[in-house]
Amino acid sequence: MAKKQKKDLIRLAVQIFFLALIILISFNHFRSEQGLAPLLIGSPSLHAVCPFGGVVTIYTYFTEGAFIQKIHQSSITLMWLVLGLTLLFGPVFCGWVCPFGTVEEFIGKIGRKIFKKKYNNFIPPKLDKLLRYLRYVILILVVVNTAISGKLLFSNFDPYFALFNIWSSEVTRLSLLILGLVLVGSLFVERPWCKYLCPLGALLGIFNLFRIVKLKRNEKSCINCKACDRVCPMNIDISTSKVISDHQCISCLLCTDEIACPVSNSLNFSVLERKNPKEDSEKDSGDKIEETVSGGVK
Amino acid sequence: MKIKSIHILLAIIIIIGGGILLASELDLYNTDRVKSPRKTAEGLYDVTDIRGSHTLEEIEKYYQLPASSAIEAFGLRPDTNPTLFQLKDMKEIFKPVELEGEEYIVETDTVKVFASLYLKIPYVSDETFYLPEKTVNYLIENDKLTGEEKEYWQGHTFKLEYLDSKYLTASEFSKIVVEEAEGLMVTGRTTIQELLDSGITEEKFEEVIGFKVPDNKSASVRDFIIDKGLEFGEVKDKFAE
Repeated sequence: MAKKQKKDLIRLAVQIFFLALIILISFNHFRSEQGLAPLLIGSPSLHAVCPFGGVVTIYTYFTEGAFIQKIHQSSITLMWLVLGLTLLFGPVFCGWVCPFGTVEEFIGKIGRKIFKKKYNNFIPPKLDKLLRYLRYVILILVVVNTAISGKLLFSNFDPYFALFNIWSSEVTRLSLLILGLVLVGSLFVERPWCKYLCPLGALLGIFNLFRIVKLKRNEKSCINCKACDRVCPMNIDISTSKVISDHQCISCLLCTDEIACPVSNSLNFSVLERKNPKEDSEKDSGDKIEETVSGGVK
Repeated sequence: MKIKSIHILLAIIIIIGGGILLASELDLYNTDRVKSPRKTAEGLYDVTDIRGSHTLEEIEKYYQLPASSAIEAFGLRPDTNPTLFQLKDMKEIFKPVELEGEEYIVETDTVKVFASLYLKIPYVSDETFYLPEKTVNYLIENDKLTGEEKEYWQGHTFKLEYLDSKYLTASEFSKIVVEEAEGLMVTGRTTIQELLDSGITEEKFEEVIGFKVPDNKSASVRDFIIDKGLEFGEVKDKFAE
């Protein structure tokens, strides 16, 4: 058990690092506006270090060779890097890097202590499943409207920008309201913004369908304890699939045999087909494990 | 191959960290604002992309709309410095007005409408249906409006009021005016050249900042100071002394 806890610390350390980095960048930007020298690193705006800026400006970038207002070249570069990372490992950005997801997760830990098993299970499954497609609607609306207007409209609603730029006059009342709802919602539902509303999460989630490193479950060795289902922050039904390619997976690795799964080599991320000696003896050597797609949620 | 947390950590370091370093080397990771506005299909700078952060000088540079025209049309102080005055500064000068039951702030969109009329470039605003009376009069005097436009805008004007009644006469308006009777007021946008032009010698500059005057004198004093790891506020005060 001690070994597993230690390994989960790697993700926690990465999350804290990026959260601290964004807080420092935001603080430096504030200092810069006050005419003070930045500490340790530079003082770019939050827009400059958000890959979603690259997504919303992409139409303008390719059609007019320009960025929309407030977006910088660094956003485009970050977008390509994050897409590359996601193509390989899935939405690692969501589960490991995004500071807003980290804040939601930290608040969720309080919710879990308060509500115990009820936590993250408040919303009826049918409604929950439907709501999870809302983020794709938001993604389309944001990208299309930004392309038409040439303005960074999303910042008027963006709780991430509101949280880390709360001192700024640029933050709208609406985004503060959404921020408040998300933070309070995180006490009841794990990562509510990521699950239902985040447009970047929606885009990255699509990569789960064809990512190179896949999450695979070994049906032969699985003891059906459902530890993976219980620990999944996104409520994905992991225990019924061979290959988990749910669009909501955030590649947190919590479900894997490195952390939650009690059976070694039963559930993990892997890049090549599993070579199971038992299976090999039962099947022809040329056979491959049939991949099924999990689209369901609890 | 089984992927563990440590592999993800390495991937983040290599792809994100390494990618940013590589992009920086290739000059593809610029976190500074790109000032030039978008261009239209005709190759002209798009009026809709006029930004609050654009200075009057930049508006003149990109749109050929003289800063002096904007200063006069909006009733700004004649000594307003076009290189420092940003369009968003207007909201710190003019009082918001109540128009058709909604609060209207004279700011960037007002300038967009003014620029489109002045330059005769079509722009349809979804928030500016009224213009300051002074601005409309300026456009009429300079023969910038067609008969139809004249008729519409003459019927859609409001009186500009200053937030500070002393705006036009006070000797100090730090955000807007740089050169004062008593000398130079260093703001976040003052360039090194402007500082030297105001009478600060290179020796004085070196004495206060502790570094020689750089070759690039068009850089802002603030950026130079911050780049050297100094506190802008402290240095600014020393120049003021």
